[in-house]
Amino acid sequence: MADGSMDLREVRRLAWRAITAHRLRSALTVLGVVVGIGSVIAFATFGASVQAEVVSQFQGTSASEIYVAPGGDSEGGGPDEADFARPAFTDHDVAKLLDIAGVRAVVPRGIVPTSSITHGGQTVARSRMTATTPAAFSADLLVEGRAFRSGAEEVVLNEAAAAGFEPNVTVGSTVTVAFPDGTRNLTVVGIAAGTRGDLTPQFAGATPRFFLPADPFYRTVVESPTVGVDQRAYPQVTVVADAGRRAEVKAAVAASLEDSDAAQLLPDDVEISVQSRTDVVEGVQSVIDRITRFVTGVAVLSLVVGAFGIANIMLVSVTERTREIGIMKAVGATNRDVMALFLAESATLGGAGALAGVPVGVAVGYGATRYADVGFALAVDWIAIAVGIGLAIGVLAGLYPAWRAASVDPIDALRYE
Amino acid sequence: MDATPIPDAQVALDGVSKEYELGGTVTALDDVDLSLSPESYTAVMGPSGSGKSTLLNLVGALDTPTAGRVVVAGDEVSALSERERARVRGTEIGFVFQTFNLMPRLTAVENVALSLVFDGWDRERRRDRASDLLARVGLGDRLDHRPNQLSGGQRQRVAIARALAADPSLVLADEPTGNVDTDTGAEVMGLLDDLQADGNTVLLVTHERRIASHADRIVHLRDGRVDRIEAA
Repeated sequence: MADGSMDLREVRRLAWRAITAHRLRSALTVLGVVVGIGSVIAFATFGASVQAEVVSQFQGTSASEIYVAPGGDSEGGGPDEADFARPAFTDHDVAKLLDIAGVRAVVPRGIVPTSSITHGGQTVARSRMTATTPAAFSADLLVEGRAFRSGAEEVVLNEAAAAGFEPNVTVGSTVTVAFPDGTRNLTVVGIAAGTRGDLTPQFAGATPRFFLPADPFYRTVVESPTVGVDQRAYPQVTVVADAGRRAEVKAAVAASLEDSDAAQLLPDDVEISVQSRTDVVEGVQSVIDRITRFVTGVAVLSLVVGAFGIANIMLVSVTERTREIGIMKAVGATNRDVMALFLAESATLGGAGALAGVPVGVAVGYGATRYADVGFALAVDWIAIAVGIGLAIGVLAGLYPAWRAASVDPIDALRYE
Repeated sequence: MDATPIPDAQVALDGVSKEYELGGTVTALDDVDLSLSPESYTAVMGPSGSGKSTLLNLVGALDTPTAGRVVVAGDEVSALSERERARVRGTEIGFVFQTFNLMPRLTAVENVALSLVFDGWDRERRRDRASDLLARVGLGDRLDHRPNQLSGGQRQRVAIARALAADPSLVLADEPTGNVDTDTGAEVMGLLDDLQADGNTVLLVTHERRIASHADRIVHLRDGRVDRIEAA
C-alpha cells in the first residue's frame, strides 16, 4: 500500500536515467573520479609492494639476533658515518656480553684493510675484508667446509666472492692476500652464505665478501679504560640470544653496555643503539609507510578535483532540470524527495568512479611494481578507503546542488521555458 | 473568523490576499472569498494580471497566502508545512498545465505514474494504474512513448491522465487548450467535462469565453478581486 515515502529502487532508477541521458558528460565526470581513486590506489599499492619487498629482505635473519652499534646522538639525530664506524667495543666488552645469561654467542665485526687477493694466477683488487670470530658462522650459513679457527691463517668466502675467480675458489685451496704490511697465504676453509648479524642476507649475498679471523688479522686496538691494556676494538657487535629470550637479553645487553668500554670511549653525545631485528624492520616499515602516506595524500588531491567535477556537473544538471523539478513538486514530491534524487545521482557518479578506479589503480600499481622489479602486494585497506571516499565525495559534492534542487520554487520552475 | 466558508466545500478561500515584493508591494489577490462545492465545475476568467495564476497556485497548494485561509479537501493548506503541502498536491490535487509539463525522459506510463512514485506505490501497481488511465484517455496504444513521440493533443491527454493518477478530489486546469489546435482543444475539454461528470471537482483557468462556458459557473477576476460570478 502507499506509505507516503518514495521507493528506493525507483530513486535509483530515476537517478540512473538522468545519468544515462547525458552519457558523454557523465562518463567524463566519472573519469575525473576514476583518475583520483586510481592514483590513490596505484600509489598505495606500489608503496605496500615496496614495503613488502624490503621487509622480505630481512626474513632470512634470525629473530634472536640483537645488533649493537653506536647509534643516534642524544639530540635525536641519526648516527653520522664517523661515529657508526668508530671502533668502541673492546674484547673486554665482548667477553662481558658473553657472560649474560641467555646469550648464545657474541659476534664482533671489524674492517681489515687489504689491497688485493690472488688465486690461481688471477689478482683482484680488494680494499677491505671483514674480521670476525668463528661464532659468526652458524651451521646453516655454511655452504661448504667449516668456519675458520681463531689464530689460524684461514679465510672464509661468500659464494659471490668464490665465483669471482675462474675457476671458482674451492674449499682447501690457497689464496694470497696483500695486507698493508705484506702478503700472506691463507687457506680457504669454508664458503658461507653470510654471517650472523647480516641485516639483509639477500643484499649481502650479492656482493663478494671475505671473512678473516679477528685473531690475528684485526689490528685496530684501543686502550680499554676498564682494564687499562690495549685490546682489539670493534665498531659493531651482534649478540645471539637463546630462542625465546630475545627481549630479556636485549634489556640485559643494554644494561651491561652502560658501564662498558664502548660507553666510555664514545663521545658523550653518541648513544649505543641496541636493536633486535624486529626493531629494525619496524623502523624501515615506518619510514616507507610515511613516504607512502605522503605520496598517497598528494593523490588524494586529485580526488578533490574529481569532486569538483561532480559538483559542477550536478549544478548544471539542476539548472537544466529546473522545470522537471517543478513538475515533480507539483505532483507531490517533497523537498526531501527531490534532494534524495539528486544525491542518488551524484553518489552514483562517485560510486561508479570508485568502482572503475579500483581496477585501474591496481593495474597501474601492478605495472609500477613490474617496472621497479619488486614483488606485488595489494593495499587492501587503501582500496576500501578509496571506495568509501568515492561514495562520500559523490554525496558531499552533490549536497549543495541537491539542496539547490530541493529549494527550487515550483511556481517559477513551471513557468520556466 | 466570522466569514466561515461553507463547511462541506471542496475548496474554500476566506479573506485571501497575496502580496509580492517586486520593488514595491504588488497585490495579486486582495481579500478574496470563494468556495467550490464538491463536484462543481468552475471557470476563472480575467485579463492577465488579474490574479488568475496566483489563485490557481494557492488552491493548488503550490503557494501560501499573505493573509487569509485556503482550505482544500478539509486541509487548511495555508497552515501546512512544505512537506504536508507536497502530500496534498500529490494526493488531493491533479494539475493540467497549458504547456503540458511532462517529464521529457519518461514514457507516458511513467509520467502518469510519477505522483504515485512519491506516494510510495510499488512499481507494478503504478504501472497498472497508469495504463488504465491512459486507456481511459484513449492512449492505450501509446503507453511507452515519450512526450516527443506524441502530438500536442496526445501530450495533454497524458497530462490529464497524470492529474487523475492519485484519484484526487480536485482537478486544476490552467489554460488546458492554450497550446493545442481547436479540434484537439475540443477533445481536451470533452475529457475535462467527463471528469466532472464522473464526480471530480474541476477548476479551470482560461481567458477564452468559449472554453469557460464548459463550466457551470464563471468567476471573473479583476485587479485581484472577484469582479462578479456568473452562472453559465
